[in-house]
Amino acid sequence: MRYLSFIFKSAFLDFSRNKGRTILTSLGILIGVLSVVLLMALGLGLKKYISNQFDSLGANLIYVMPGNEKAMTSGAGMMGGIKFDDKDVLRVKRIEGCEVVAPVFAKPGIEMEANGNSETGELIASTDEINIVMNLQLEEGRLLEHRDNDKRAKTIVISPKIAEKLFDNQRNALGKTITIEGQNFKVIGIYKSKGGGGLGGSDMDSHVFVSNAAAYVFNTEKKYFAIYAKAESKDLIDRVKKDIKTSLLKRYDEKQFSVVDQAEIMGTINQIFNVLNTVLVAIAAISLVVGGIGIMNIMYVTVSERIREIGIRRALGAQSKDILYQFLIESVLLSIFGGIFGLGLAYGIVYLLQSLFPAYIDLISIILSLGVSSVIGIVFGVFPAKKAADLSPIDAIRYE
Amino acid sequence: MSDIIKVDKVWKEYMMGDVLFQALKDINILVKEGELSAIVGPSGSGKSTLMHIIGLLDKPTRGKVFIQGKDISTFTDNKISTLRNEFVGFVFQQFNLINKLTILENIMLPSIYARRKLNYDPKEKALYLIKRFGLVGKENSYPNKISGGQQQRVAIARALIMNPKLILADEPTGNLDSKSGNEILKLLKELNHKEKMTVIIVTHDQLVAKETKRIIQIRDGEVVA
Ligand SMILES: Nc1ncnc2c1ncn2[C@@H]1O[C@H](COP(=O)(O)OP(=O)(O)OP(=O)(O)O)[C@@H](O)[C@H]1O
Ligand SMILES: [Mg+2]
Repeated sequence: MRYLSFIFKSAFLDFSRNKGRTILTSLGILIGVLSVVLLMALGLGLKKYISNQFDSLGANLIYVMPGNEKAMTSGAGMMGGIKFDDKDVLRVKRIEGCEVVAPVFAKPGIEMEANGNSETGELIASTDEINIVMNLQLEEGRLLEHRDNDKRAKTIVISPKIAEKLFDNQRNALGKTITIEGQNFKVIGIYKSKGGGGLGGSDMDSHVFVSNAAAYVFNTEKKYFAIYAKAESKDLIDRVKKDIKTSLLKRYDEKQFSVVDQAEIMGTINQIFNVLNTVLVAIAAISLVVGGIGIMNIMYVTVSERIREIGIRRALGAQSKDILYQFLIESVLLSIFGGIFGLGLAYGIVYLLQSLFPAYIDLISIILSLGVSSVIGIVFGVFPAKKAADLSPIDAIRYE
Repeated sequence: MSDIIKVDKVWKEYMMGDVLFQALKDINILVKEGELSAIVGPSGSGKSTLMHIIGLLDKPTRGKVFIQGKDISTFTDNKISTLRNEFVGFVFQQFNLINKLTILENIMLPSIYARRKLNYDPKEKALYLIKRFGLVGKENSYPNKISGGQQQRVAIARALIMNPKLILADEPTGNLDSKSGNEILKLLKELNHKEKMTVIIVTHDQLVAKETKRIIQIRDGEVVA
């Protein structure tokens, strides 16, 4: 105990005598830990954001999309390739265990005008079953119903955000008309906000819903870019997927379409994310190594400044490992100082960013960053400490 | 009385560039337990070199050193360090205190490197030595804040904290005025006389040497008397 308290005291005394040097040395590690922890926090936040968005959709969903699975997740499959028609929708509807089927036509980047205001959004045309598939909840008025499609009614359901942008307030919007590319639609309802957005990714609140029949003016081929379906239960997902595939293979070949469920999409997204995040963190980790080299440098200087002290300690009976520990503890402390302050700063930044960007620091980041900074202290401190420990007692004490 | 130290045909050589320099030539010395001796000789004659070898800080190029009959050349570095810790107390001309540690901490420093449990409290012992050497009130001062005489007394207290059998003092009065120097000498003599410690004082001052019972004269690395 006394031994450790002497070593720690000696280390702290040395730090306080060389405050500037101590701070600058720790700064290297601080920046390294800060950038690693921040990147991890942003990665985690983004991942969580995406999975939240998925959760806000209904459960047990199955997506039938053009293109093979790999192309699908990268988005390339959605362009070009095949489009589905009503025959395909019927095939899917006929499959046992398939509860809800919603053929979807989408038109992104539309300009909506009303009241002299305008706003861009994404038009989604489907049947009323889209309400279930996309888990739409009602805020005001009503959601799409069967009759909207049957009557080819030009009705539209919008988000609170769009209602406010175009009509200043939600209540004003009901019954009003929105013009989209020369076509007038009557606002019949407002769905509950899905939150999120602002990330450059797809903002769920920019979606507006109309019936397929009402969208035929934009969708002259009467074809759909995807079919969303919902299995009756989780256990049925795999079987339903298989049956849909078998049925559609009679019309298309394997490469032309894909049938995936939420878990698969989430898995692929996670995979891409993990790779991206690992690469970014690895790049940030280089700054940790640079910080470690800074510590090594300073420790070499410290050792050569204290050769006489080392000699005195050896003369008084310190073994070479006592000297090794002394300098190793100093370098680890330097590194951990940097680690702790880096972590603290990262916390502050994440706290400030929270409102703009989803980011959070998990326990693993904390343990990892402190662990890594101690390891850096050891790895880069061991060479100078070894040099100190290997000095011959007589050379050290005679050193001027 | 038994031999505490035996220096047996010890040579110490340095390479100075291409030239071989012999700092010690065939030294043979026996020191008995409880002796008070002086090593005297002109500057550069090899006194400190010899003292470092006796104190296990340095190793001879040839020849052997026996401590209480044991051949040191067979000891590992750790064992030698432990022996320095327990068996030897050094007092240097330049005091060699650690400036960032307080007086009390300096005196206690050897005890943190003790490899076995001490049967006394080193802090109590340090406080006792502080009192005995007239350093009361300086416990928490730093070495550069006290006089040379006081610093040397701290160094002696530090040398005593582990209850060593052997005290090695290299020019202990060299950096002191004659009054402080005499006090230090008196202290060292007292340790030998009252506590039966074996004390070796290195000096080039014949007056200092006269105070001891035995004088080892060296010149150019050789014992001449
Ligand atoms: N590491 C070394 N390398 C080369 N020469 C050395 C070394 N250490 C000591 N010497 C030489 O050995 C000789 C003896 O040195 P030592 O320090 O033992 O003398 P000393 O008798 O203690 O002198 P002083 O009274 O000045 O302290 C000197 O000439 C010194 O230069
Ligand atoms: Mg000398």
